[in-house]
Amino acid sequence: MAISEKILEEILNKYPAKVKRNRKKHILIRDPQQDRQEIEANTRTIPGVVTNRGCAFAGCKGVVLGPLKDMVNIVHGPVGCGYYAWLTRRNKAKADEPNKNFLAYCVSTDMQESDIVFGGEKKLARMIDEVVEIFKPNGITISATCPVGLIGDDIQAVARAARAKHGLNITAYSCEGYKGVSQSAGHHIANNGLMENIIGAGEMEEPPGKYTINILGEYNIGGDSWEVERVLTDIGYDVQAVMTGNGSYAKLKNAHVAQLNLVQCHRSINYIADMLQIKYGTPWLKVNFIGIRAAIESLRNMARYFGDESLIARTEEVIERELAEIEPQLEPYRKICSGKTAFCFVGGSRGHHYQGLYEELGVTTVLAGYEFAHRDDYEGRDVLPYIKTDADSKNIPELHITPDESRYRLKIPVERLDALKQEMPLNNYKGMIEDMTEGTIVVDDLNHYETEEFIKILKPDIFSSGVKDKYVTQKMGIPTKQLHNYDYSGPYAGFRGAVNFARDVAMGFSTPTWNYITPPWKGKPLLEGTIEPCSAHPGVKEVGAV
Amino acid sequence: MPVYRNVNANPCNMCMPLGGILPFKGIEDAMVIIHGSQGCSTYMRRHIAEHFNEPIDVGSSSLNEKGTIYGGAQNLFQALDNIRKVYQPRLIGILTSCLAETIGEDVEGIARDYMKQRKPEDISLVAVPTPGYGGTHSEGYWLAVKNIVSHLARPAKKHGGVNIIVPNLSPADIREIKRILGLMGLQYTLVPDISDTLDRPIARPYTKIPPGGTPVEAIRDMPGAVATIQFGLTVEEKLSPGYYLQSEFGVPLYNLPVPMGVEATDMFVNLLEKLSGCNVPQTLAMERGRLLDCMVDAHKYSAQGSAAVFGDPELVYAVARTCAENGLYPAVLATGSKSNGLEQLLSPIIAECPQKVRIIKETDFALIRTACRETGANIAIGHSDGKYLTEKEGLPLVRLGFPIHDRVGGQRLLSTGYAGTTMFLDRIVNTILENKHNNYRATMYRKFYRNTGEERYCAER
Repeated sequence: MAISEKILEEILNKYPAKVKRNRKKHILIRDPQQDRQEIEANTRTIPGVVTNRGCAFAGCKGVVLGPLKDMVNIVHGPVGCGYYAWLTRRNKAKADEPNKNFLAYCVSTDMQESDIVFGGEKKLARMIDEVVEIFKPNGITISATCPVGLIGDDIQAVARAARAKHGLNITAYSCEGYKGVSQSAGHHIANNGLMENIIGAGEMEEPPGKYTINILGEYNIGGDSWEVERVLTDIGYDVQAVMTGNGSYAKLKNAHVAQLNLVQCHRSINYIADMLQIKYGTPWLKVNFIGIRAAIESLRNMARYFGDESLIARTEEVIERELAEIEPQLEPYRKICSGKTAFCFVGGSRGHHYQGLYEELGVTTVLAGYEFAHRDDYEGRDVLPYIKTDADSKNIPELHITPDESRYRLKIPVERLDALKQEMPLNNYKGMIEDMTEGTIVVDDLNHYETEEFIKILKPDIFSSGVKDKYVTQKMGIPTKQLHNYDYSGPYAGFRGAVNFARDVAMGFSTPTWNYITPPWKGKPLLEGTIEPCSAHPGVKEVGAV
Repeated sequence: MPVYRNVNANPCNMCMPLGGILPFKGIEDAMVIIHGSQGCSTYMRRHIAEHFNEPIDVGSSSLNEKGTIYGGAQNLFQALDNIRKVYQPRLIGILTSCLAETIGEDVEGIARDYMKQRKPEDISLVAVPTPGYGGTHSEGYWLAVKNIVSHLARPAKKHGGVNIIVPNLSPADIREIKRILGLMGLQYTLVPDISDTLDRPIARPYTKIPPGGTPVEAIRDMPGAVATIQFGLTVEEKLSPGYYLQSEFGVPLYNLPVPMGVEATDMFVNLLEKLSGCNVPQTLAMERGRLLDCMVDAHKYSAQGSAAVFGDPELVYAVARTCAENGLYPAVLATGSKSNGLEQLLSPIIAECPQKVRIIKETDFALIRTACRETGANIAIGHSDGKYLTEKEGLPLVRLGFPIHDRVGGQRLLSTGYAGTTMFLDRIVNTILENKHNNYRATMYRKFYRNTGEERYCAER
């Protein structure tokens, strides 16, 4: 059943009037006839609606900094925040140097009441000394939690002093949880810090290979990045740095040498992509390695960007080989999945990316949305000049980046870049809405109540989101697929990842478990009898009769 | 010991508001809000949901920068309005976060103002100050239970029932305690009762608040009970709901260890016999007999174990007792909490131990790991963060307590009562046996061919 404006109204009527007005702007019914459909995003969540959103700390330490394996990511604050961001995202990593993978460690200053009263700077400084001694990391990041900003601990100064003392890259991130309206603020803060202090700190001047690239916004959840890199390396690319899945300070500091930046998750990393373009002249290409068609298109765009015939030919060879491997494996899963419908609600890019993969399996996405994305992730970057900055977004500083005098290089001629921009998403992202079909629903910051209501009406065959809303849906008897941590499965990216995804989704549909939910005694009618023709009983009208 | 350090590497505990959420999930028709940044409730929901495999709805007042300057009363009002509208709860818990406490929010005052201004009918607001830096999740848990009881309890007619106050146990453990109470024919009010709410059967239609939990009316009448049985020997008086009921309403308090192991379960059953005047039924006597039979079978293997037990203080105490009863003596007993009285409680057990026992409080896993290595512990018992002891030290881990994030079924782990203890011991002994078999060849090779002697039952380093 499709959702009309009227049904939408009914769902929202349960809210108090003010909440209803607010939420209405965050929901739209896709209508391709309209030139542009506007949606409100990246604004404050209404208190008490049980949102899935997190905080700036989660976006900064949890998402962007957390996966950097050869750095110790210190959490300055009470113990909880560090604990909750302790490998929670399943970002996998393999040490490049012996004993230089610290992801299994949750390192926190564990602030106590006395630290809140007397300040925690000294404790933090002493702790950095200990961390350097115990772990001998390649660098240290310090992430702030709520109380740090409130009591006025100057973590930037502590970091500066420690940096001088230890001769190590030690940086601080003021990502207190109350900043901004969601994780998104934290992404921006982390992007700024990495750009200012780490990227470009290395000594490399020239790219190590002919086709050197960085992958931005890929966090190696369940090994996604490994599967993507397998194919890229096979084609002949040199992956300099991945931001930040399986990433390292050692690689990241030389990220400036790449000739092209790939952007997988636009929301969390587009700031760095833009800044690298301005500072080093490196263009970025919006890619999507989730889904077979999208992965092929991304690979072809990359090859065309470099424009080398042999690279283009090699790309086609690899694509052909990979397809030959996976197509027969996918076939049985397609049969199971075909004709099904899905909800796809994830953070800031996967809500879009997974729709293509679902479609290839024959599953239609009937509702999609992002937890913390901005309008450009929905409507495309063309909308950027029209987004009003508000008090919340103004609190996150915009860095003023200028071209690097010695390292700025034009990677390809300006005319060629302009020509390529017409063919591929270079320095551009068209957003999610354009890819959605008529009558489908787009919801920003979907909450618990709306999840349930939309499920009751649209009755999707599968609900793909995270651990917080997964159990609600399963209790309602609907299969789910966690797209945040993949239910401990994966990788789902690239060619082989698509097979894993198809297998897991098909399993959700075909498991016999769902058949047993209704006990046999519930199927029988409580009363049995016959109904006489209505003419015999003038008081009763047949349903539908006038 | 302890070596003074500033760094906390791999904590053995979570923060106070997380613990505060759990008791509210065990009250009928209750919801809970965290007054603070929305990340707090999101992170905590995530971690609780992953343990119980259940929906964990927790509201947030979504404080942001503006709230830090002007105060968050308006946000909290709005959060309460929306939660009431969508969930229609009869009780709402309001927990604070680091943010709210640092800016000095008076939640109790805000809750009073809310009641005055909105005049909602038939709803209670229970405020619990739980700054993240104020203690661990254990203290948060107990303070929330205490505040629920002290907020609702009122002078009541004597009704002959018993109050049962439980620590953070699994829903299966609580079901077992309830079964025993039922067998002994007692009327009781068990707080907080997560046995159905956090281990919820699939049933249609889905309701936003799971059925079950302690009814609010029953908590109101707790002062009329003949006695309170609280499984909270490690709980300080200021956090103790049983102590509150005793000092405010004169309800006699029996503070008992968690009914795990023969002796502790005997104490519980014996007290129930006294309070109810009923004889212990044959069913329980048979279960006790079976447990003893299990222990006789198990003791040969248990004696080969040297345990590192960690987690909430109440559970550490209970597990240490239970293991020692079967000759599986602890080597390391550790908790992330301050837990003042723990050493004293443990001292009779430690006196029986053939080797020196390390007790570590306010610990992280870095310290536990060192202690395990130094004492030669060969089995770990506790929550799933102990997996690092397996990864780094090869210690097999028997999962118990909260949280269990890397296995399913944390909510169904049964370890209380005679029947539960039997299952618990089987899990431990089988882990020892499995490890022995998995490493048998290597151990023998070392012993007889390489002559490197040392016998360890845990996996190879």
